[in-house]
Amino acid sequence: MSTELSADPDVRGDEDARSVVRRARRALRGLDRRFLPVLGTVLTLLVMLGIGQQRYSTERVDFVSMKLLSNLLVDNSYLLVLAIGMTFVILTGGIDLSVGAVVALVGLAIAELFTLGLPLPVVLALGVLIGTSCGLLIGVMVQVFDIQPFIASLAVMFLARGLANVISVNSLKIDDEGFSALAAWSLKFGEGRQLWRINASMLVALAVLLIAFLILHYTRFGRSVYGLGAGDGGAAVNLMGLRPARTRVWVYVISGTCAGIAGVLFALYTKSGFNLTGIGMELDAIAAVVIGGTLLSGGVGFVLGTGAGVLVYGLIQVLIAREGLESWWTRVFIGVVLLGFVILQRVLVVRRR
Amino acid sequence: MTPTQPSTTPAPAGPSRGADIWREVTHHGLFWPVVALVALLLACGIASPGFLDVTVRDGHLFGQLVDLLRNSATPLLLALGMCLVIATGGIDLSVGAVMAIGLAVSLTYLDTAPDPSNVGTVVTAVLLGLGVGALGGAFNGAMVAGLGIQPFIATMILMVAGRGIAMLITQGQITTVTSPPFKTIGSGFVLGIPTPVVIAVAAFVVVAVAVRRTALGMFLEAIGINREASRLAGVRSRRTTWTVYVIAGVLAALAGLVYGAPTMAADANNIGLMKELDAIMVVVLGGTKLDGGRFYLGGLLVGAMLLSTLERAVIIFQFPSQTTPLFKALVLIAVCVAASPTLRAMLRGRRRADRSDAPAAPVETVSEVTA
Amino acid sequence: MSAAQPEAAEPAPVDRTPVVQMTGISIAFPGVKALDDVPFRLFPGEVHALMGENGAGKSTLIKALTGVYAIDSGRIEVDGAEVRLDGPSQAQAAGISTVYQEVNLCANLTVAENVMLGHEVRRGPLIDWRATRRRAAEYLARLNLDLDPRSMLSSHTIAVQQLCAIARALVVDAKVLILDEPTSSLDNAEVAELFRVVRRLKDEGVAVLFVSHFLDQVYEISDRVTVLRNGRFVGEHLVADLPRRDLIAAMIGRSRDALAGIEEKARSTITIHSERETPFLTAVGLGRNGSVQPFDVNLYAGEILGVAGLLGSGRTEMARLLSGADRPDVGEVRVQSTLTRLTSPLAALARGIAYSTEDRKKEGIVGDLTVRENIALALQARRGTWRPLPRRQLDDVVAKYLTALQITPANPNALIRNLSGGNQQKVLLARWLATAPRLLILDEPTRGIDVGAKAEIQKLVTELAQDGMSVVFISSELEEVLRLSQRLVVMRDRHKVDDLVNTDDVTTATVLETIAESGAHA
Repeated sequence: MSTELSADPDVRGDEDARSVVRRARRALRGLDRRFLPVLGTVLTLLVMLGIGQQRYSTERVDFVSMKLLSNLLVDNSYLLVLAIGMTFVILTGGIDLSVGAVVALVGLAIAELFTLGLPLPVVLALGVLIGTSCGLLIGVMVQVFDIQPFIASLAVMFLARGLANVISVNSLKIDDEGFSALAAWSLKFGEGRQLWRINASMLVALAVLLIAFLILHYTRFGRSVYGLGAGDGGAAVNLMGLRPARTRVWVYVISGTCAGIAGVLFALYTKSGFNLTGIGMELDAIAAVVIGGTLLSGGVGFVLGTGAGVLVYGLIQVLIAREGLESWWTRVFIGVVLLGFVILQRVLVVRRR
Repeated sequence: MTPTQPSTTPAPAGPSRGADIWREVTHHGLFWPVVALVALLLACGIASPGFLDVTVRDGHLFGQLVDLLRNSATPLLLALGMCLVIATGGIDLSVGAVMAIGLAVSLTYLDTAPDPSNVGTVVTAVLLGLGVGALGGAFNGAMVAGLGIQPFIATMILMVAGRGIAMLITQGQITTVTSPPFKTIGSGFVLGIPTPVVIAVAAFVVVAVAVRRTALGMFLEAIGINREASRLAGVRSRRTTWTVYVIAGVLAALAGLVYGAPTMAADANNIGLMKELDAIMVVVLGGTKLDGGRFYLGGLLVGAMLLSTLERAVIIFQFPSQTTPLFKALVLIAVCVAASPTLRAMLRGRRRADRSDAPAAPVETVSEVTA
Repeated sequence: MSAAQPEAAEPAPVDRTPVVQMTGISIAFPGVKALDDVPFRLFPGEVHALMGENGAGKSTLIKALTGVYAIDSGRIEVDGAEVRLDGPSQAQAAGISTVYQEVNLCANLTVAENVMLGHEVRRGPLIDWRATRRRAAEYLARLNLDLDPRSMLSSHTIAVQQLCAIARALVVDAKVLILDEPTSSLDNAEVAELFRVVRRLKDEGVAVLFVSHFLDQVYEISDRVTVLRNGRFVGEHLVADLPRRDLIAAMIGRSRDALAGIEEKARSTITIHSERETPFLTAVGLGRNGSVQPFDVNLYAGEILGVAGLLGSGRTEMARLLSGADRPDVGEVRVQSTLTRLTSPLAALARGIAYSTEDRKKEGIVGDLTVRENIALALQARRGTWRPLPRRQLDDVVAKYLTALQITPANPNALIRNLSGGNQQKVLLARWLATAPRLLILDEPTRGIDVGAKAEIQKLVTELAQDGMSVVFISSELEEVLRLSQRLVVMRDRHKVDDLVNTDDVTTATVLETIAESGAHA
């Protein structure tokens, strides 16, 4: 194959294009297989942003803007934290169906605890601890009693809903000055229509994301989490001496803690607690994780991909709102998109075998 | 040379026979649920005088026990389908949503019909509702059996998206219709027995005959215990699994009709909420394990009664009714943990070390290892 | 540490301390005593082979040493100090490293992670990946492996993955390296490479425990050998002092006679089929991507076709294609000269083809169902869901096979999972025989069962063939295959390499040579 560039400019143009394609193909082939799903997510994100930009940008205001990004994060910071915890669990090949119920429970608990006169930091800490305890219960059921993760987390989901019901069947307003101040606090940037902000929830969510990233990619525990999802039920991890039992329980504790934090963030967002909150929220979290490129069967995935998945989720909501559809259409769309990704994953796995 | 494996030998005759019968009875999966049911009924009877009275009034049965029976109908219908699905090693989290969709479709049809009280129209409405339930089940079955997607994810998607569909059908309103024939599905009486009970028992009999009088039951259990072995033995695992999800969908829709008929209102958001929990509880209380395999239809009857008695007991003993889900959840967790093999091993004081892959017997094989 | 020269005289040198000393080890499982008062010791700088038949207790002893099983009685000493090994991490901490037959590493992690995880280089609380990868590369270099530490483990061959597992053993500065059947899926060149590494480790003073059923390899690499039989210690010898004949005698005791009789019978009743006979089944160019290369095979009525090959050579894959368990990508199958598409196990059963799988636990028994239901399963599947077998007929069929196959206990209501391995296998055979097949494919039917049941099953297979059934017999025990079959197919690395007629001059050695030679040309 001659690599000489011809002098003719037309031919040269063609050859340039061809060599670019060739180089791109070589780069893609060399790219690690694991990144392919996330690539899909990023592409989806770009496509959606493109559609939005086309349809909704006006002369004065672009659709794609810092305001959009900021709003996405403000509205979905609780979901990001939920999805991060869920990522840990799904990476080990498990699942946590209790997170939505935990969010509801934490919201109601916060409302109640404030009426008991406890100070803000204590209330927030207790709220998170509620999530941690639920996670610990699931972890024990799964690891010690060998109960399947979806059954164990389903049972704890019912437990959390039951407890939420006991606290109150009506919506409870969260009445505390410190809490409201925290909810209202934000750093504002830009001006007028371009105004965008960073609030406490966003910072918390991004911090959790960073910590999760470091844990999963730079600690032995994090790599063991991946190892557990290798498909042999943790046999290899066990024989490598990496403590599968402890890791598995911790993974559910992490998911529960994230659910607790998400409960706090959601309470900050809605400033109330309601026992019917969060129905279907676990599906949103799972959707974000799966759309973000993590395989439901475990072992493959990136928490940064989950971040992208949350952005996709948020964009779906924004686009639906812009189109003037009812909000419950989001649920249907998310369901369809999740289904699409699950089927795709399934097809790819079968193909590989 | 004969293996020393302990095996099930027939019980010896003689004085130990009584002890053996006692052991068989107490070890039967239904023993504790029946005991619990009887105990609960007695406790309720003591705490609330007249609880156990059944009289005949206006030509039909009347009494708290009768109410209990009527309330058991919906959970029984849901649990029937759920039990078959669980037997194959799956789960159906969408039953509550399908209840809502089925009811929504039926009532919306009646609402748009010229004469909602016409029996023919009602029959069509009912069939439509059941048909939609079958569709939902078919979707679930296609995902699980056809594409090999994990059951909890596939049915959860329908569970969440299904509510959206129900909202779509009812346009976000709570559809109410007046139609006496339809209403009797939920609040009428057949030969003095509440209609829901009759419907539920009829469904139970049909399912029981289909499952135990044919090879369906054995195939379901085989699929749930070892899917690949069943496939290799020629069992049509995919087709059978798909069928079972369709059955569950139809039964869920029927449950929705029975449940919503008395009020004649379709609240797409709330009907069937948390009903999955009820269905799973009835199955588990009836002795069927949640990871599939052997299932017990008879136990569903006990389980459904136990569930409604539990709900009633909460009221009689003056717990706030909102604590009912909590009790149910605690019972579910307790049953899951109790059924865990690890717990049994722990109680017997076995070691933690995993011995599941131990050889069955010391093997003395002859192999000409030639040079 | 100098390399140990096998001492000329007595086999118990007292001047060197063993790095591992196990005394009086006993482990019992429900109904079975897997190890009974077994001693074992490992000296540094020595390769010590552990030999014994299937079920002799080798893997149980290894699992005791690696902390996977807890011991019921006895003691384990490492470097003179008693240790309690509660789990793999304790064993590793004590300096004992294991490489298993199935590479027990995480396929979804990188080479560097698999080698270094647990001993990664840290900077503060976080892993320093650059340094870790560099270290991993160093360890790999010691084994002459030039791999990219960033590459996924799954992108390498099994042989390379196994060497990575050994590299991992080096990282923990193992005093003891246990190699459990490391050569089952390696070809000659890869085995030579592995042994070079083992010798290097020996020179560095590592004690190597080598388990293998390849006698030649044992004699090539080991210095010392311990023999177990039926969970009991038979003897420990220097390899130089133990001729093969004696080793075999120690391993199998004196039970050769039980099966000698069958062999006579099988070989004497060989009737080489006539070339003019039409085969029951003909496969032409049958293959499946990633599973087995296209192959041709003819199966005749009344004949036992043996399939020989190493682990991973594609024998089971071939069986699965012939029985409808897997769908082929290429090729065609003719059953009694009619072109057939075997699209599912059910379709195959309808044509009279039955397949008894290799892994009876995962693909054979339906554990919680009764013996009766297990026997009836395939027969009922053929009748369909809506035509249940009449109870009387079912009971007759079940009773017939309970007696014919001598299944104990003869209780149709017993749960199959409570039966011994041998009886479970018989129940499975009953399942297939109940469908009156014309072709019976048996994949490892005598694996892991006691010698009595083994003899019965072999006798049964011979009788079935004599009565006109076509049989395919797959086994990793080459001797067994040779004992029973009239013709042989030899597999290697997922493709068929040879057809042989089982005449008297065909021995295990010739078959192994056929396998080895085909590798040289590959």
